[in-house]
Amino acid sequence: MKYAIGILLLLLSTVLNAQELLQFDNDSQRDLYRSLTAELRCPQCQNQNIADSNAIVAVDMRQKTYELVRQGQERQQVLDYMINRYGDFVHYQPPLNRYTLWLWLSPVLMLTLLLGTAIYRRSKQSQQNVDTQGELNTELDQLIKRYRSKKP
Amino acid sequence: MRKLFFYVPLVLFLALTVFLLSGLFSDPRERESASLNKALPEFALADLMQPQQIWTPQQLHGETFLLNVWGTWCPTCNAELGYLTELRKQGIKIVGLYYELPRDPAFDAPFNLKVLQQDVAQKLQQNGDPYQFNILDLERRLSLDLGVSGAPETFLIDSNGIVRAHHIGDINPQIWRAKLAPLYQQWSQP
Repeated sequence: MKYAIGILLLLLSTVLNAQELLQFDNDSQRDLYRSLTAELRCPQCQNQNIADSNAIVAVDMRQKTYELVRQGQERQQVLDYMINRYGDFVHYQPPLNRYTLWLWLSPVLMLTLLLGTAIYRRSKQSQQNVDTQGELNTELDQLIKRYRSKKP
Repeated sequence: MRKLFFYVPLVLFLALTVFLLSGLFSDPRERESASLNKALPEFALADLMQPQQIWTPQQLHGETFLLNVWGTWCPTCNAELGYLTELRKQGIKIVGLYYELPRDPAFDAPFNLKVLQQDVAQKLQQNGDPYQFNILDLERRLSLDLGVSGAPETFLIDSNGIVRAHHIGDINPQIWRAKLAPLYQQWSQP
């Protein structure tokens, strides 16, 4: 009996210790916090998100994100809060504007250019083939004509 | 026409090379600050040395000044104190925004203002004191609102309390002459 209680207590201890560091009202808030800290970029250690970074500013931004999420703010509100202070730089998904338009446009342009050149070259080549074929035919005709006129 | 076509790949290649080469020498930290041309965010923060004095943005209106984000824990900030003191002697108003480190309740001693004041006084005595006064941003809320990414950083604030420049990194004679002095001249004219 003594052992049973001991074992039971040991088993329970892990369960009781599994308390979260950050408390949320519901799962959607927790998910929002996770996704936001994953896609907000640390302004100090570049190429790390604030979930990864332990720079002072990343710690503060995580704290602020937590506060705003707990207040029930929407995803876009939190993003706007950070972008207002740190610029578009701070979000890993850049907005579509006249500076970033080329990121989307240039692959399409390159592809059209490539296809255009390929089609143009192919049509020119087949045209050339027809031309040389025609030339050869007339040359052959002339030879035959000459040969025939010589014979009798 | 055909000959011209022959050079197209070469031209494209050269253009790409120039683009990538310029990327090698560009500073990835150089970017437009989001706080430029905006008013100072609202705050009410205590003076570092006289905690009963509370500073608000309105009290800072009337004179163009530099707001220097610093901390004694930051070596670069300590290194620039000397040159900033020289600037103060030239008549430039510099206000310190003290950027305190976050504390982990499990490992760090609780915040002690007396200890910090002693630490700051000692550092300023050693390296020079460029500051009219220091504002203590204990929880770094004003720093977050200003878009501070670390220390040292310096803001140029005009007499109406509008942010006119945001410099990330230390201030040395070269940077002052090339970047900040012209802006200071421009915005300190009445």
